[in-house]
Amino acid sequence: MTNERYLVASYFVGVTLAVGLGTIVYLFLRHPFGSLADSVSRKRRSSTLKRLFPLGLLFPALLGFVSVSYQSCTRHTYEEIVQNRSYLVEKNQQQISSVLLHILFAVLFWDVIVFLILKYGRKGRNESHLPTVDD
Amino acid sequence: MSLQLSAFLTLLVLSLAVPTILFLLLRTSLIDLLRRTLKVQAGITFYSRSFLLILFLSALSAAIGTTFDLKQDSRFMEYVWKGAEGVSSTLERTLWFVAVYVVLITILVATLKVKDDE
Repeated sequence: MTNERYLVASYFVGVTLAVGLGTIVYLFLRHPFGSLADSVSRKRRSSTLKRLFPLGLLFPALLGFVSVSYQSCTRHTYEEIVQNRSYLVEKNQQQISSVLLHILFAVLFWDVIVFLILKYGRKGRNESHLPTVDD
Repeated sequence: MSLQLSAFLTLLVLSLAVPTILFLLLRTSLIDLLRRTLKVQAGITFYSRSFLLILFLSALSAAIGTTFDLKQDSRFMEYVWKGAEGVSSTLERTLWFVAVYVVLITILVATLKVKDDE
């Protein structure tokens, strides 16, 4: 495989991987987040939060991927970039690392949102229909 | 298998072992703490799962970002040093993110506990 073909293939595999990782994290947290969002007093706010949740994980994953630039101080042109395979592999590693880091920041952001839901958004413990630990 | 790939895979295994051990050590206490504070099963599940994600994502992002850009004739110990550098950045990043998580959980426990006491 030529370096140019490797670049094209790895770029699209990278995008798929970023979306896949974002989706896996979303599926992993979807049920507990959905139950918590339901505890928000207004139904409209709950459904808005549930719709925003996948976007709030997929966008950071994609942002992490596209934030890595192939151009650097020593390589400006396309020819210079595709010249060396190890440089392309290094950039792929940076892309995956950046995707993971951005998802991590997104998870922390949603942790804060859940904290705010628990603090301000609850109907009140006695009125809540959420299953409690005692149940 | 090239020495470069073996070194990278070793680093990857080590960076998976660290969050696994940390999670197994802290899981029970974290769930107990959350159970006493939140009293809502979904909240406990959400925060324990996000802790697992924080551990693994921080460790893996540091490990995968490490490149073994050494010359072809590099000696074995040069790969070991580079691997140690990768382990160092993995542990450092994991430590920072666990610290952020601990701060968040502390605020959560302090705030909701006060609300309950009232």
